[in-house]
Amino acid sequence: MASASLRSLTFGQKLLILAVLAFTIGPFAPLIIQSLAFRWAWPDLLPSVWWLEQRQISPFPLAWDYVLSPTSKVLEATVNTIGIGVAVSLLCLLICLPAARVLARANFRGKKRLEFFLSLPLLVPEAAIGIALLMIFTGLGLSGTYVGVIIVHLIPTVPYMVRMLTAVYQGLDQGFEDNARVLGANDWQVLTRVTLPMLMPGVLAGALFTFLVSTNLFLLTFFIGQGSIVTLPTLLFSQISGGAMGATAAGIALVASLPGLILLVLSDRLIREEAFALGIGE
Amino acid sequence: MIQHDRPSSHRQPLSLREKLQLAPLLLVMLGLFGGALVLGLLQSFGFAPWFGINEFPNPDYFVALWSSPDFWLSLGLTLYYGVVSTLLGLIISVPLALAFERRFCGSKVLLAVSRLPLMVPYSVGIALALIMLGNGGIISRLAASLGLISDPGAFPAILHSHWGWGIIAVYVWKQVPFMTMAILAVLLGLGQGTREAAMVLGARTHQVFWRVTLPQLMPGIVSASLICFAFNVGAFEAPFILGGGYPETLPVLAWRYFNDANYVYQLQGMAVIVSLTLVSGVILAGYLFAYRRFERKRGRL
Repeated sequence: MASASLRSLTFGQKLLILAVLAFTIGPFAPLIIQSLAFRWAWPDLLPSVWWLEQRQISPFPLAWDYVLSPTSKVLEATVNTIGIGVAVSLLCLLICLPAARVLARANFRGKKRLEFFLSLPLLVPEAAIGIALLMIFTGLGLSGTYVGVIIVHLIPTVPYMVRMLTAVYQGLDQGFEDNARVLGANDWQVLTRVTLPMLMPGVLAGALFTFLVSTNLFLLTFFIGQGSIVTLPTLLFSQISGGAMGATAAGIALVASLPGLILLVLSDRLIREEAFALGIGE
Repeated sequence: MIQHDRPSSHRQPLSLREKLQLAPLLLVMLGLFGGALVLGLLQSFGFAPWFGINEFPNPDYFVALWSSPDFWLSLGLTLYYGVVSTLLGLIISVPLALAFERRFCGSKVLLAVSRLPLMVPYSVGIALALIMLGNGGIISRLAASLGLISDPGAFPAILHSHWGWGIIAVYVWKQVPFMTMAILAVLLGLGQGTREAAMVLGARTHQVFWRVTLPQLMPGIVSASLICFAFNVGAFEAPFILGGGYPETLPVLAWRYFNDANYVYQLQGMAVIVSLTLVSGVILAGYLFAYRRFERKRGRL
C-alpha cells in the first residue's frame, strides 16, 4: 500500500510537472513564431504579416534570409562554437584521464583538499576568472585568439570532467587490467585493449558534457575572445544586448539552441543522472 | 557529501609516475585558475607593472570602493538575485525531483524534455525572457486579450527594473533542470527503503518529507545550491541585458570599470571583482560550515 503510493503521481505532482514544462519549454513557441513574423504588433497573439508573405517583395533580406546569409556570421559562429567545443573536450580528456586514474586509485596525503580545490572553479564567480585572465592573456598575446579561448574554456570544464572520470575509474574493476598483465600484455596494450574500451561509455559522457559546457559558455569567450572570436552565445548576446527582440534575434536564438537540442537527443542514453551527483563540501 | 573516513594507514606517497599523471591537471588548475586568482588579488592592491603602476600593497582601491554607498547597493542587488533565484530554484526542484523519481509512464521523455534549458546558452533564456515578459511580450498580450490592460505601458515592468523578476526568471529557468538532476541523482542512489519504512511505521506524508526525505537529500541540495548561487552572483549577461541600469550588479559594474579608457579604473574593477569573490566565498564557506554541523549533529560526519 505504502509502496504503491510511492510509485504513482499525485494530482499535485502532475500539475507541477505540467507547470514546469510550460515554464521551461513553453516560451520556445513564441520564439519560433517571432522568427517567422514580419509584423507582430501588440496586442496580437499571432503576427499580422508573416515573413514568407513579404520575402519576395522585400528589397532587403528579412529574418531567416538574413540569419542564413553570410552577413549574419551565423555560420562562422556555428563552426567556431563546434570547433572550440571539440578541441576543449579532447584537451580536457587528455588532461583529466590520467589524473582521474590516480585520484580514483591512489590514497595520498591531502587528497581530500585536492578534490575540494578541483571543485573551486565552480564556486568562484566567472567574471573574476575572466577579467583576471584577460590581463595575463593580453600580456601573452593570447587574447582574441582561438588558443586563448580554448585554454580558458578548460577552467569551468575540468572540474566536471575530472569528477565524472574519477567516478568511472572507481567503477572499473582493476582485476581486468591485472589479468591482462599476467597474461603478458604490456602497458600500451592494457590501456588500448582493456582500460579504454571499458571506460568508453564514461569517457563519451564526460566528453559530451564538456562539449555542452563549452558551447554554452559566454562570459569567458566574450572576455578572452575580445570580439574577434564569434561563437553562438556571443553572437546572440550582441543581437539582444540592446534589450529588444526582433525576428532575426529570434532566429539566431533558435540556431544557438540547436547544438543543445541535438545533444539532448544524443545524450539521453549517455548522460546518466548519476553524473550530476556533485558532492561538493566533503 | 558524506565523509567516508578511510584508515590513514593506507595512505602512501605518490610514485613519480602517478605524480606525472596528475601534473597536467595541476598545471591547468594551479597555473591558470590559481594564477588568475593571485594576479587578480595583486592587481586590486595596485600591482600592474604593464601600466607602469606598481604601488603594491596599496589598499586605496578597496577603501575608495567600500566607502562608496553605491558599492553596497550593488552588492545588495547582486546577493538578492543570487539568493532569491537559488531558493526559488530549490523550492521547484525538490518536489520536481521527487515526482520524477516515480518512474511513471513517459517519465523518461518528460525528464529529457525538461532538461532543455540546461543544454542551451543563458542568452537563449534571456531572449525568451524578452519575448515573454517585456511590456510588449506574450504575457502582456495575454493580459490584454483577457481585458486586464489596454496599453503596453500598463503592464508591470518585469524587465529593465531593479529587484524585478526578469533576471530571477532566467536563472530559475536555467537552473531548475540542473538542480533537479543533482537531487534526483541523490534520490536514485538512496532508494525508497527508508521512506517506505517510515510510512509503514505510521509517519504522515509531511512527516516523511521533513524528517526523512529532506535530510537525506541535503548533500544534493547543498552541492547544487552552492554551484548555482556562485554562478548567479558572478553572472554577467542577464543583469547586463535585463537589469535596470544604475545601481548595477557587481560583475556588470566591474565590466564597466574594465572597459573605461582610463586604465586606473581597471584596477578599481579588479577590486570590485575581488570584493565579490570574498563576499561570495564567505557566504559559501558559512553555508558549508552550517551544513557540516547539521550532518555532524545527525551523526553522518
